[in-house]
Amino acid sequence: MSDETAGTRSESDVIAGLDPQAKELLKRVLQIERSRLHLRASDAEAVEELLNAVREVAP
Amino acid sequence: MILRKIQLENFRQFMGKQSFPLDVSSGRVVTLLFGGNGAGKTTLLNAFTWCLYGELSHDIEHPERLVTDLVWQSAPVGEEVPLSVEIEFEHEGALYRAQRAARIRKEDGVRRAPSADLKLWVTQNGQNKIVDGPQQRMESILPQHLSRFFFFNGERIEKLVRAEAYAEVKKDISSLLGLEQVERALAHLPKLERKLGAELRKHGGAQAADILEQIETKEEQLGQARREREELRDGIAAITEELGTVRELLLQHSAAGPLQAQRDQAEEQLEKARRDNEKHKHAYQHLIGTRGYLAFVKTLSQQVAGLAAGLHERGSLPAPLKRDFVDSLIEDGRCICGTELGSGTAALRHVEDWRARAGLAEVEAAWQRLDGEVKRVAESRGELRHQLQELAVEQQADREAIDRWAGQLADLEAKVKDIPVEEVARLEAKREKLQARMNDSNQKLGAIGSKIEDFQADIATLRNELKAAEINNAVAQKARRRLDLVSSVDAALREILEIRSANMQVRLNAKVKEVFAQITVKDHYPELSEDFELGLYQKHPDGTVLPAAKSTGENQILSLSFVAAVSQLAREVAQSRDDGSDSGEYPIVMDAAFGSLDENYRRDVASALARLAPQMVVMVSKGQGKGEVIEQLRPHSNHVGVIVEHTTSTAKNSESIEWGGYQYPYIEAGAEKDWSELVEVPL
Repeated sequence: MSDETAGTRSESDVIAGLDPQAKELLKRVLQIERSRLHLRASDAEAVEELLNAVREVAP
Repeated sequence: MILRKIQLENFRQFMGKQSFPLDVSSGRVVTLLFGGNGAGKTTLLNAFTWCLYGELSHDIEHPERLVTDLVWQSAPVGEEVPLSVEIEFEHEGALYRAQRAARIRKEDGVRRAPSADLKLWVTQNGQNKIVDGPQQRMESILPQHLSRFFFFNGERIEKLVRAEAYAEVKKDISSLLGLEQVERALAHLPKLERKLGAELRKHGGAQAADILEQIETKEEQLGQARREREELRDGIAAITEELGTVRELLLQHSAAGPLQAQRDQAEEQLEKARRDNEKHKHAYQHLIGTRGYLAFVKTLSQQVAGLAAGLHERGSLPAPLKRDFVDSLIEDGRCICGTELGSGTAALRHVEDWRARAGLAEVEAAWQRLDGEVKRVAESRGELRHQLQELAVEQQADREAIDRWAGQLADLEAKVKDIPVEEVARLEAKREKLQARMNDSNQKLGAIGSKIEDFQADIATLRNELKAAEINNAVAQKARRRLDLVSSVDAALREILEIRSANMQVRLNAKVKEVFAQITVKDHYPELSEDFELGLYQKHPDGTVLPAAKSTGENQILSLSFVAAVSQLAREVAQSRDDGSDSGEYPIVMDAAFGSLDENYRRDVASALARLAPQMVVMVSKGQGKGEVIEQLRPHSNHVGVIVEHTTSTAKNSESIEWGGYQYPYIEAGAEKDWSELVEVPL
């Protein structure tokens, strides 16, 4: 992740403050959303895909 | 995305199959193509966008005549005519071949715009395959709405910095710099939380269900408040734009113009003074918050120093262990814990060790540490006093400047109102009304901001209550754990979005300045506002900063700087993330690169082009590309070509172009057919 900063906290600081499971989920969420950026599919499909990611990260 | 080759077949004036290499090599990132007016430079630019997105620019006349006229006319009715554009490019380590092709049957005299779908092949790790959903994949490589930053006509590029484009440009940049995916995640995660919440409510018992209901109610209220805030921000952006228009009209008015110019300056200075005041106020508060305690320790530090000095002198400073005390234990033959300290015993050796460690050396070290600390506190107090005094003086100066500029503004307003011209009075009344709406909206924005903070605090408290709630069911426990996980990701993403948004404008602003300075050495500088308004300013010798009058050429340079800054920043941002983002590399394909620039600007732009993007395809006319432009671009060019115009017209004369000491055909007048030819010339 980048080292962009706003105020005193950087993006890296925000991520460093998460526990390992949350870090993993954050990465997965961004990957999913990026791969779906240009899809016209419904929100429901995106939410379902995100739910699967949560189940995998926190079984 | 780096282009490697383009191939055309019967595309507008490019008759038959023609191709041109576009690949780049180290230090040679430019492909330079010369072509006269009407030879096909704009057509070639459109070949890119038609192939990748099926779109032609609005200035293409007769879009239904995509197939070369000559080929269409000579084809017998009932025959199919092939039409295609194929582009090869590299992206994220894979080689792509994009093709938009159609076979158009000639059935009657009417020509209709052909429809042709994109086909995409990818070669990666030695495997070649056709891509399913090619248009979607293309969108994921370079979305169509962003392509205007990378495939454009240099003469029209200035549209990017016009007021009506700000909001759209801001949205596009958000997408390019990776904000859109965060925004989408933030729209989806609450829905995911509701799903997990339903599971928890079902199995988690009454207490959890009650807390969840409260969280959901608060979340809804928070969502509503955020939407209201967005609406207010949009409203403020619209008012700002309207105010800009009124201001511009007053500026152009012969009676009000000079006063409006003074008012612009006064507003600018007032704004600056307010910003400075805020900055100094925050610095003051920060200092008080972090080091203010020093103000209250004057007597305390003196007392500590005095007390310690007295104790030190008397040798009574406490040490971790006093040697006299240990000596008395050894003499008594019994430790403090009751163990006998017989001669030669391990217990005696242990106590003797204590004795060796106890004593004056430690006392002395402790004293020195204490003395040092007390002195530092005294010095820091002095520093703090000095810094606070400086900030107080600066704040006083800010307040005076605010009063001065506000007074001047009031005077100028009164003078504008006194102008006995109906049009001015109408504009001024409108301006006042807009300003009042702006003040009202800003007030509401502040109030809604506090409301949002309250909702967030309430939700955080409820979440903690949910964490502590007693839940025995295993399914509900799992749902709670997942819900907690999603909530923490949601909160982190919200913060990341704020960070990226704040940085986007700041970094892009810095980048535009950097690129602009690379292109031109004028004492002007660009400034990108928070609303993505790109302006050009000039600093006058008396220190005042005013908007600079922009010529078409300067607008073009400004726009080019903006495009190049976007391109460079996209690459930097993409490369600094490890979240699966792409490489952020995009080519810039420019028609009429030197548009309406005068000779000086042409030289400046030419010398900067090779540094602006990882790949530049530059199309110029012979007139635009002469002399120093060629000299500047030659060392960076990997391929050079001429779009030779073969014309039956007798009104044109044959012309050639000189490159590397040789003459190459540029216009071939008196030809048998009208068509254009892509010809590569040796470097």
